[in-house]
Amino acid sequence: MFRGFLIEILRSAVESIKANKLRSLLTTLGIVIGVMTVIGVMSVISGYKQYIANSFSQLGANVLYVSKYPWGFGMSREEFKKIQKRENIGLREAEALKEYGTSFKYVSPSILRNMKMERGDKEAEEVQIEGASEDFSRITNRNVSLGRFLSKDDIVYNRYVCVLGQDVVNTLFTEENPIGKKVKIQGRQFNVIGIMAEKGKMMGQSMDNTAFIPYTTMTTFTGKRSTINIAVYAEEGEETREEIRWILRGVRDLKPDEEDDFSINSSEALISQFNQLTSTFIIISIAIAAISLVVGGIGIMNIMLVSVSERTREIGVRKAIGAKSGEILGQFLMESVVICLVGGIIGIFLGASITKLISIVSSGILFHIPIWSIFLGFGFCFSIGVFFGYYPARKASKLSPVEALRYE
Amino acid sequence: MSELIKMKGVTKVYSLGETEVHALRGVDVKIKKGEFISIIGPSGSGKSTLMHIIGCLDRATSGSYFLQGKDVNEMDENQLADIRKEFIGFIFQDFYLLPDVPAWYNVSLPMIYDRIPPKERKKKAVSILNSVGLGDRVNHLPNQLSGGERQRVAIARSLANEPEIIIADEPTGNLDSVRGEEILKILSELHKEGKTIIIVSHEKYVAERGKRKIHLKDGMVEGKG
Repeated sequence: MFRGFLIEILRSAVESIKANKLRSLLTTLGIVIGVMTVIGVMSVISGYKQYIANSFSQLGANVLYVSKYPWGFGMSREEFKKIQKRENIGLREAEALKEYGTSFKYVSPSILRNMKMERGDKEAEEVQIEGASEDFSRITNRNVSLGRFLSKDDIVYNRYVCVLGQDVVNTLFTEENPIGKKVKIQGRQFNVIGIMAEKGKMMGQSMDNTAFIPYTTMTTFTGKRSTINIAVYAEEGEETREEIRWILRGVRDLKPDEEDDFSINSSEALISQFNQLTSTFIIISIAIAAISLVVGGIGIMNIMLVSVSERTREIGVRKAIGAKSGEILGQFLMESVVICLVGGIIGIFLGASITKLISIVSSGILFHIPIWSIFLGFGFCFSIGVFFGYYPARKASKLSPVEALRYE
Repeated sequence: MSELIKMKGVTKVYSLGETEVHALRGVDVKIKKGEFISIIGPSGSGKSTLMHIIGCLDRATSGSYFLQGKDVNEMDENQLADIRKEFIGFIFQDFYLLPDVPAWYNVSLPMIYDRIPPKERKKKAVSILNSVGLGDRVNHLPNQLSGGERQRVAIARSLANEPEIIIADEPTGNLDSVRGEEILKILSELHKEGKTIIIVSHEKYVAERGKRKIHLKDGMVEGKG
């Protein structure tokens, strides 16, 4: 019975909104913009968050990277200039870490270059070639599917051997087993000793267009003076970080009062830095949304007051035929809630469209709308409808039937 | 016949800023079940005010009012709304139909507040419209109907919750004499079916329909109430 009444006031709310389409639409604009902002920003941020998290999980969990430059955002020009002046990180540091480290076992330089690989008349362009040590596969938890990974001897004797990623194999080899075959990098012959297990695509980019060669061999291409990264598998977390710090300070002859002139990076730290940055964005967008929702709410209140005064006669008739004050209140409250929810739906739809558009433009990053933001949007709209609709609805419900009927 | 309405010493005072308007100055009215009453008097005589109080749309400033033995002065707003819903059907001079909804929906309006299920509502609304001769106007909007037809829709609406009393405030005021006559005929028929009818009018030919007349002048009943 009560449900029937609810349906009836819902119906009458929809009728009245339909009767004033343009007015209702303009009224909802503030709500639309507010909800759109929340949905749009939340989607983009959660998309980027996932993207960043995925990208860096490639680097492996529990892996510390010793580099000249710190990872992250928001470095000032002065800071950057200072960091630029740091002494390069070289093999000396990597070897020291390997030798003196007690809380960690696995250390590998990581020297990256994009180069062309050739075999006969076949070419693989822009292969990401990584100079690494025999520890690298353990550090990043990547294994070979065929043959073997780099060995200690390969490193010590500067061997011209390589381990190929699946994409490179597909480009350079057709049917035959690549193990033992030769490929060319920068005019040098390399023996294929292994093939990495496939990793697939990540965010539209193949993770298999790679090759690994001994870092000692890599330095013949890059020279010994350019700065490198050093990957360390940190079994003991903070303790490892501290130990790395002290070893490097020793190797680089830093005096006690000098700052560290190197950075120890990790994917976790970067992700948390990113999260901090995005939480600022979230707060700003919520503030924008809140302002437009409040403005929208005041618009709703205004239009509901107009509606109540336009329909004073109707209110009188309804009361004359037996409507209680509470029922009139319910009817007008329902109307303002419906207007707000319609605004919310339009806002969600527009927010989703914008998200989709950004997804297409930024090819690769998948933005999805977090479900909770939809609920948040609806919840907000509902509350605003009730909050700003209450005063006009109460005004309607308190009208005396006789005066309402006399209203011209 | 039992006494349906019993009013004693009813007054109504409106305050318009500084001045007080005494619309009713001690009115005694008794109406029995099934009566056909005309309330007549010149404009400003207080007949509309009396009608509003009888119809529980308004409260008396002082005096007693018993409806079916119940003290109306003791009732709260919601109880008055229930009385209007269950006991009283109103017909107004200006019809007061909702403009955006069809005739049948206008008729079904009181049933919404009586929590009648939608299907039943429409069925009943259509059958009442049939009984006032508007069976072919069920889905028309008020502005597609003539004045007489609109007033018949309004009568149908007043009948929706099968009220004991029908109160008509100048029901023919906006109609020509032929249409007005039709409306009065319908009201006479309803009286024959046993409804208590109260017509408020300043027009003689309308008032003549009443089996008993209450003359109001300057907020008081002239002669016997």
